[in-house]
Amino acid sequence: KKMASKISVVLRPVKSIVVRFCPFESNVESTRKFLGCINHKKIQATNRNCEVTADVRHDGSEPLVDVMFADGERLIMKGANLTTIEMLTALRSRCNAKELQEEQKSKKKSP
Amino acid sequence: PLSAGWLPALQFVRRGSKAVTRHWKAMHFQRQKLMAVTEYLAPRPAVPPRCLAPRKETLEEDDGYVRLLRRQVEEVFRDNRMIAICQYNSMPDEDVVLMRHYLRKHNIEVKFVLNEIVRPVLSQSKYKNLLPLFVARNILLVSPETKAKEMLRVLKGVPQINLLGACIDDTILSRQGVENFAKLPSLEASQGQTAGALALLPSQTSSLLQRGSAHLTALLDQHIRRLQAGETGSPAEPAPAQSLGAH
Repeated sequence: KKMASKISVVLRPVKSIVVRFCPFESNVESTRKFLGCINHKKIQATNRNCEVTADVRHDGSEPLVDVMFADGERLIMKGANLTTIEMLTALRSRCNAKELQEEQKSKKKSP
Repeated sequence: PLSAGWLPALQFVRRGSKAVTRHWKAMHFQRQKLMAVTEYLAPRPAVPPRCLAPRKETLEEDDGYVRLLRRQVEEVFRDNRMIAICQYNSMPDEDVVLMRHYLRKHNIEVKFVLNEIVRPVLSQSKYKNLLPLFVARNILLVSPETKAKEMLRVLKGVPQINLLGACIDDTILSRQGVENFAKLPSLEASQGQTAGALALLPSQTSSLLQRGSAHLTALLDQHIRRLQAGETGSPAEPAPAQSLGAH
Protein backbone atom coordinates (compact mmCIF):
# COMPACT_ATOMS: atom_id res chain seq x y z
CA LYS A 1 0.00 0.00 0.00
CA LYS A 2 1.20 3.49 -0.79
CA MET A 3 2.66 5.54 2.04
CA ALA A 4 1.23 8.99 2.45
CA SER A 5 4.63 10.63 2.61
CA LYS A 6 5.64 9.19 -0.78
CA ILE A 7 2.92 11.07 -2.69
CA SER A 8 4.50 14.18 -4.18
CA VAL A 9 2.24 17.11 -4.84
CA VAL A 10 3.29 20.06 -6.97
CA LEU A 11 1.88 23.08 -5.19
CA ARG A 12 2.66 25.62 -7.88
CA PRO A 13 -0.93 26.49 -8.82
CA VAL A 14 -1.93 26.73 -5.16
CA LYS A 15 -2.07 30.07 -3.39
CA SER A 16 -2.95 29.06 0.15
CA ILE A 17 -4.10 26.08 2.17
CA VAL A 18 -6.08 26.37 5.40
CA VAL A 19 -6.48 23.26 7.51
CA ARG A 20 -9.15 23.57 10.20
CA PHE A 21 -9.75 20.93 12.84
CA CYS A 22 -10.71 20.42 16.43
CA PRO A 23 -8.10 18.24 18.11
CA PHE A 24 -10.38 16.96 20.84
CA GLU A 25 -12.62 15.25 18.28
CA SER A 26 -11.92 11.70 17.22
CA ASN A 27 -12.22 12.01 13.43
CA VAL A 28 -9.29 14.37 12.88
CA GLU A 29 -6.52 11.80 12.40
CA SER A 30 -6.44 11.87 8.58
CA THR A 31 -6.62 15.67 8.51
CA ARG A 32 -3.73 15.99 10.94
CA LYS A 33 -1.64 13.54 8.94
CA PHE A 34 -2.52 15.48 5.79
CA LEU A 35 -1.24 18.64 7.44
CA GLY A 36 1.94 16.87 8.46
CA CYS A 37 2.56 15.56 4.94
CA ILE A 38 1.92 18.92 3.32
CA ASN A 39 4.51 20.51 5.53
CA HIS A 40 7.19 18.19 4.22
CA LYS A 41 10.34 19.76 2.80
CA LYS A 42 9.88 18.44 -0.74
CA ILE A 43 6.32 19.60 -1.14
CA GLN A 44 7.04 22.98 0.42
CA ALA A 45 9.98 23.35 -1.93
CA THR A 46 7.73 23.20 -4.99
CA ASN A 47 6.13 26.48 -4.03
CA ARG A 48 7.61 28.77 -1.42
CA ASN A 49 4.79 31.28 -1.72
CA CYS A 50 2.09 28.88 -0.70
CA GLU A 51 0.95 29.67 2.82
CA VAL A 52 -0.15 26.71 4.89
CA THR A 53 -2.17 27.76 7.93
CA ALA A 54 -3.52 25.52 10.64
CA ASP A 55 -6.67 26.68 12.39
CA VAL A 56 -7.16 24.93 15.70
CA ARG A 57 -10.65 25.32 17.12
CA HIS A 58 -12.63 23.82 19.94
CA ASP A 59 -16.18 24.11 18.69
CA GLY A 60 -16.84 20.54 17.63
CA SER A 61 -16.83 21.45 13.95
CA GLU A 62 -15.61 18.82 11.54
CA PRO A 63 -12.13 18.83 10.04
CA LEU A 64 -11.83 20.89 6.88
CA VAL A 65 -9.16 21.54 4.26
CA ASP A 66 -9.61 24.70 2.25
CA VAL A 67 -7.33 25.05 -0.80
CA MET A 68 -7.25 28.33 -2.69
CA PHE A 69 -5.78 28.13 -6.22
CA ALA A 70 -4.02 30.92 -8.01
CA ASP A 71 -6.77 31.23 -10.62
CA GLY A 72 -9.44 31.78 -8.00
CA GLU A 73 -10.72 28.23 -7.77
CA ARG A 74 -11.41 26.77 -4.36
CA LEU A 75 -11.25 23.16 -3.22
CA ILE A 76 -12.89 22.21 0.06
CA MET A 77 -12.24 18.76 1.47
CA LYS A 78 -14.15 17.57 4.49
CA GLY A 79 -11.75 15.21 6.16
CA ALA A 80 -14.12 13.55 8.59
CA ASN A 81 -14.54 10.43 6.45
CA LEU A 82 -11.59 10.73 4.09
CA THR A 83 -8.22 9.10 4.44
CA THR A 84 -4.98 11.01 4.10
CA ILE A 85 -4.04 9.26 0.88
CA GLU A 86 -7.37 10.09 -0.72
CA MET A 87 -7.01 13.76 0.14
CA LEU A 88 -3.46 13.89 -1.13
CA THR A 89 -4.29 12.15 -4.41
CA ALA A 90 -7.27 14.44 -4.98
CA LEU A 91 -5.13 17.52 -4.44
CA ARG A 92 -2.38 16.08 -6.61
CA SER A 93 -4.70 15.29 -9.53
CA ARG A 94 -6.17 18.80 -9.44
CA CYS A 95 -2.74 20.42 -9.28
CA ASN A 96 -1.53 18.36 -12.22
CA ALA A 97 -4.61 19.30 -14.22
CA LYS A 98 -3.99 22.96 -13.50
CA GLU A 99 -0.34 22.64 -14.50
CA LEU A 100 -1.33 21.06 -17.83
CA GLN A 101 -3.79 23.89 -18.47
CA GLU A 102 -1.13 26.49 -17.79
CA GLU A 103 1.37 24.75 -20.03
CA GLN A 104 -1.14 24.65 -22.85
CA LYS A 105 -1.90 28.32 -22.37
CA SER A 106 1.75 29.30 -22.42
CA LYS A 107 2.30 27.13 -25.51
CA LYS A 108 -0.59 28.89 -27.27
CA LYS A 109 0.76 32.30 -26.37
CA SER A 110 4.31 31.63 -27.54
CA PRO A 111 4.17 29.37 -30.63
CA PRO B 1 42.43 -59.96 -28.01
CA LEU B 2 40.62 -57.19 -29.93
CA SER B 3 41.61 -56.69 -33.50
CA ALA B 4 43.63 -53.65 -34.33
CA GLY B 5 40.90 -51.59 -35.81
CA TRP B 6 37.85 -51.77 -33.52
CA LEU B 7 34.95 -49.45 -33.46
CA PRO B 8 33.39 -48.43 -30.13
CA ALA B 9 29.82 -49.62 -29.43
CA LEU B 10 28.54 -46.14 -28.66
CA GLN B 11 29.40 -43.19 -30.78
CA PHE B 12 28.83 -39.72 -29.41
CA VAL B 13 27.38 -37.61 -32.19
CA ARG B 14 28.76 -34.13 -32.44
CA ARG B 15 25.78 -32.47 -33.98
CA GLY B 16 24.71 -28.98 -33.11
CA SER B 17 25.59 -27.77 -29.59
CA LYS B 18 27.75 -29.10 -26.81
CA ALA B 19 26.52 -30.30 -23.46
CA VAL B 20 27.00 -26.96 -21.72
CA THR B 21 25.45 -24.15 -23.77
CA ARG B 22 24.83 -20.48 -23.26
CA HIS B 23 21.17 -20.85 -24.18
CA TRP B 24 18.52 -23.02 -22.58
CA LYS B 25 18.91 -26.45 -24.05
CA ALA B 26 15.95 -28.85 -24.21
CA MET B 27 16.23 -31.61 -21.67
CA HIS B 28 16.49 -35.22 -22.67
CA PHE B 29 13.07 -36.82 -22.57
CA GLN B 30 14.02 -39.15 -19.77
CA ARG B 31 15.33 -36.26 -17.76
CA GLN B 32 12.11 -34.35 -18.45
CA LYS B 33 10.06 -37.26 -17.11
CA LEU B 34 12.22 -37.49 -14.00
CA MET B 35 11.89 -33.77 -13.26
CA ALA B 36 8.11 -33.90 -13.70
CA VAL B 37 7.78 -36.80 -11.30
CA THR B 38 10.03 -35.33 -8.64
CA GLU B 39 8.45 -31.85 -8.51
CA TYR B 40 7.97 -30.27 -5.07
CA LEU B 41 4.46 -30.53 -3.59
CA ALA B 42 3.81 -28.22 -0.62
CA PRO B 43 2.38 -29.99 2.43
CA ARG B 44 -1.24 -28.93 3.10
CA PRO B 45 -2.66 -29.03 6.62
CA ALA B 46 -5.49 -31.47 7.12
CA VAL B 47 -7.76 -28.73 8.45
CA PRO B 48 -7.53 -25.36 6.66
CA PRO B 49 -6.17 -22.77 9.11
CA ARG B 50 -9.23 -20.53 9.00
CA CYS B 51 -11.37 -23.31 10.49
CA LEU B 52 -9.30 -23.41 13.64
CA ALA B 53 -9.70 -20.92 16.47
CA PRO B 54 -7.61 -17.76 15.94
CA ARG B 55 -4.28 -17.86 17.75
CA LYS B 56 -3.84 -14.95 20.15
CA GLU B 57 -0.55 -13.29 19.22
CA THR B 58 1.64 -12.68 22.26
CA LEU B 59 1.55 -8.92 22.65
CA GLU B 60 4.55 -6.65 23.41
CA GLU B 61 7.19 -8.18 25.60
CA ASP B 62 7.30 -4.81 27.36
CA ASP B 63 11.01 -4.22 27.10
CA GLY B 64 12.89 -2.07 29.52
CA TYR B 65 13.24 0.81 27.07
CA VAL B 66 9.49 1.15 26.69
CA ARG B 67 9.12 0.96 30.45
CA LEU B 68 11.76 3.64 30.92
CA LEU B 69 10.06 5.94 28.43
CA ARG B 70 6.72 5.40 30.14
CA ARG B 71 8.22 6.21 33.51
CA GLN B 72 9.70 9.40 32.07
CA VAL B 73 6.32 10.44 30.72
CA GLU B 74 4.70 9.80 34.10
CA GLU B 75 7.38 11.89 35.79
CA VAL B 76 6.83 14.69 33.31
CA PHE B 77 3.13 14.74 34.06
CA ARG B 78 3.78 14.77 37.78
CA ASP B 79 6.52 17.36 38.02
CA ASN B 80 5.39 20.13 35.73
CA ARG B 81 2.59 22.56 36.19
CA MET B 82 2.18 23.46 32.56
CA ILE B 83 2.15 20.86 29.78
CA ALA B 84 1.32 22.04 26.27
CA ILE B 85 0.72 19.63 23.41
CA CYS B 86 1.57 20.81 19.91
CA GLN B 87 1.46 19.23 16.49
CA TYR B 88 4.88 18.94 14.95
CA ASN B 89 5.14 19.31 11.19
CA SER B 90 8.61 18.73 9.85
CA MET B 91 10.74 21.77 10.54
CA PRO B 92 14.31 22.52 9.49
CA ASP B 93 16.73 21.56 12.22
CA GLU B 94 18.11 25.03 12.84
CA ASP B 95 14.60 26.25 13.57
CA VAL B 96 14.11 23.45 16.05
CA VAL B 97 17.31 24.37 17.85
CA LEU B 98 16.41 28.07 17.87
CA MET B 99 12.96 27.38 19.21
CA ARG B 100 14.38 25.13 21.94
CA HIS B 101 16.79 27.90 22.86
CA TYR B 102 14.09 30.54 23.18
CA LEU B 103 11.86 28.29 25.20
CA ARG B 104 14.73 27.29 27.48
CA LYS B 105 15.14 30.92 28.41
CA HIS B 106 11.66 30.78 29.90
CA ASN B 107 12.42 27.45 31.56
CA ILE B 108 10.20 25.55 29.11
CA GLU B 109 11.50 22.20 27.94
CA VAL B 110 10.68 20.60 24.59
CA LYS B 111 10.06 16.86 24.60
CA PHE B 112 9.46 14.65 21.59
CA VAL B 113 7.04 11.88 22.43
CA LEU B 114 5.80 8.73 20.75
CA ASN B 115 2.07 8.19 20.73
CA GLU B 116 2.24 4.50 21.47
CA ILE B 117 4.04 5.23 24.73
CA VAL B 118 1.98 8.15 25.87
CA ARG B 119 -1.42 6.64 25.15
CA PRO B 120 -1.27 3.80 27.70
CA VAL B 121 0.17 6.12 30.33
CA LEU B 122 -2.62 8.64 29.84
CA SER B 123 -5.41 6.09 29.75
CA GLN B 124 -4.39 4.90 33.19
CA SER B 125 -3.87 8.30 34.73
CA LYS B 126 -6.55 10.93 35.25
CA TYR B 127 -5.81 12.70 31.95
CA LYS B 128 -8.17 10.61 29.87
CA ASN B 129 -9.46 13.62 27.97
CA LEU B 130 -6.04 14.29 26.53
CA LEU B 131 -6.12 10.93 24.71
CA PRO B 132 -7.68 12.10 21.40
CA LEU B 133 -4.95 14.71 21.09
CA PHE B 134 -2.20 12.16 20.60
CA VAL B 135 -2.55 11.35 16.92
CA ALA B 136 0.14 12.12 14.32
CA ARG B 137 3.41 13.66 15.38
CA ASN B 138 3.36 15.63 18.60
CA ILE B 139 5.72 17.41 20.92
CA LEU B 140 5.25 18.39 24.53
CA LEU B 141 6.30 21.70 25.98
CA VAL B 142 6.63 21.27 29.72
CA SER B 143 7.44 23.82 32.35
CA PRO B 144 7.22 24.15 36.12
CA GLU B 145 6.05 27.74 35.66
CA THR B 146 2.98 28.87 33.75
CA LYS B 147 4.36 31.40 31.31
CA ALA B 148 1.68 31.11 28.70
CA LYS B 149 2.24 34.53 27.11
CA GLU B 150 5.91 33.99 26.32
CA MET B 151 5.23 30.49 25.03
CA LEU B 152 2.53 31.77 22.68
CA ARG B 153 4.85 34.50 21.43
CA VAL B 154 7.59 32.01 20.60
CA LEU B 155 5.14 29.63 18.94
CA LYS B 156 3.73 32.45 16.82
CA GLY B 157 7.16 32.88 15.28
CA VAL B 158 7.26 29.20 14.35
CA PRO B 159 4.54 28.47 11.77
CA GLN B 160 5.10 24.74 11.60
CA ILE B 161 4.13 24.04 15.20
CA ASN B 162 0.43 24.26 16.04
CA LEU B 163 -0.72 24.43 19.62
CA LEU B 164 -3.49 21.89 20.16
CA GLY B 165 -4.16 22.12 23.88
CA ALA B 166 -2.59 22.34 27.28
CA CYS B 167 -2.93 21.05 30.78
CA ILE B 168 -2.15 23.83 33.24
CA ASP B 169 -2.37 23.04 36.94
CA ASP B 170 -4.41 19.91 36.22
CA THR B 171 -6.88 21.90 34.12
CA ILE B 172 -7.30 20.89 30.52
CA LEU B 173 -7.45 23.92 28.23
CA SER B 174 -7.99 24.22 24.53
CA ARG B 175 -6.04 26.65 22.37
CA GLN B 176 -8.60 29.36 23.04
CA GLY B 177 -8.33 28.63 26.74
CA VAL B 178 -4.57 29.05 26.65
CA GLU B 179 -4.91 32.38 24.90
CA ASN B 180 -7.40 33.55 27.51
CA PHE B 181 -5.15 32.29 30.25
CA ALA B 182 -2.27 34.27 28.81
CA LYS B 183 -4.40 37.43 28.83
CA LEU B 184 -5.15 37.06 32.54
CA PRO B 185 -3.16 39.26 34.95
CA SER B 186 -0.44 37.59 36.96
CA LEU B 187 -1.19 35.68 40.13
CA GLU B 188 0.06 38.41 42.51
CA ALA B 189 -2.00 41.09 40.79
CA SER B 190 -5.17 39.02 40.90
CA GLN B 191 -4.50 38.08 44.54
CA GLY B 192 -4.15 41.76 45.41
CA GLN B 193 -7.34 42.53 43.56
CA THR B 194 -9.25 39.83 45.44
CA ALA B 195 -7.89 40.95 48.79
CA GLY B 196 -8.88 44.55 48.01
CA ALA B 197 -12.37 43.51 46.95
CA LEU B 198 -12.82 41.41 50.08
CA ALA B 199 -11.53 44.14 52.34
CA LEU B 200 -13.88 46.69 50.77
CA LEU B 201 -17.02 45.08 52.18
CA PRO B 202 -16.07 45.04 55.90
CA SER B 203 -14.89 48.63 55.66
CA GLN B 204 -18.28 49.51 54.29
CA THR B 205 -20.05 47.50 57.01
CA SER B 206 -18.64 49.57 59.84
CA SER B 207 -19.65 52.81 58.14
CA LEU B 208 -23.09 51.32 57.37
CA LEU B 209 -23.67 50.38 61.02
CA GLN B 210 -22.59 53.77 62.21
CA ARG B 211 -24.66 55.57 59.61
CA GLY B 212 -27.85 55.57 61.66
CA SER B 213 -26.31 57.04 64.82
CA ALA B 214 -24.10 59.40 62.78
CA HIS B 215 -27.22 60.70 60.99
CA LEU B 216 -28.95 61.17 64.34
CA THR B 217 -26.00 63.10 65.81
CA ALA B 218 -25.85 65.29 62.74
CA LEU B 219 -29.56 66.04 62.94
CA LEU B 220 -29.30 66.79 66.66
CA ASP B 221 -26.26 69.03 66.15
CA GLN B 222 -28.24 70.97 63.60
CA HIS B 223 -31.19 71.14 65.96
CA ILE B 224 -28.95 72.40 68.78
CA ARG B 225 -27.44 75.04 66.57
CA ARG B 226 -30.89 76.16 65.52
CA LEU B 227 -32.04 76.19 69.15
CA GLN B 228 -28.94 78.05 70.22
CA ALA B 229 -29.46 80.45 67.43
CA GLY B 230 -33.09 80.72 68.52
CA GLU B 231 -31.81 81.00 72.20
CA THR B 232 -33.96 78.27 73.77
CA GLY B 233 -30.59 76.98 75.24
CA SER B 234 -29.89 74.25 77.95
CA PRO B 235 -33.20 72.27 78.58
CA ALA B 236 -32.95 70.91 74.98
CA GLU B 237 -29.37 69.55 75.53
CA PRO B 238 -29.63 66.86 78.29
CA ALA B 239 -32.73 65.27 76.64
CA PRO B 240 -30.97 64.44 73.30
CA ALA B 241 -27.83 63.36 75.26
CA GLN B 242 -29.92 60.80 77.28
CA SER B 243 -31.58 59.38 74.14
CA LEU B 244 -28.08 59.01 72.62
CA GLY B 245 -26.92 57.11 75.75
CA ALA B 246 -29.90 54.70 75.43
CA HIS B 247 -28.75 53.78 71.85
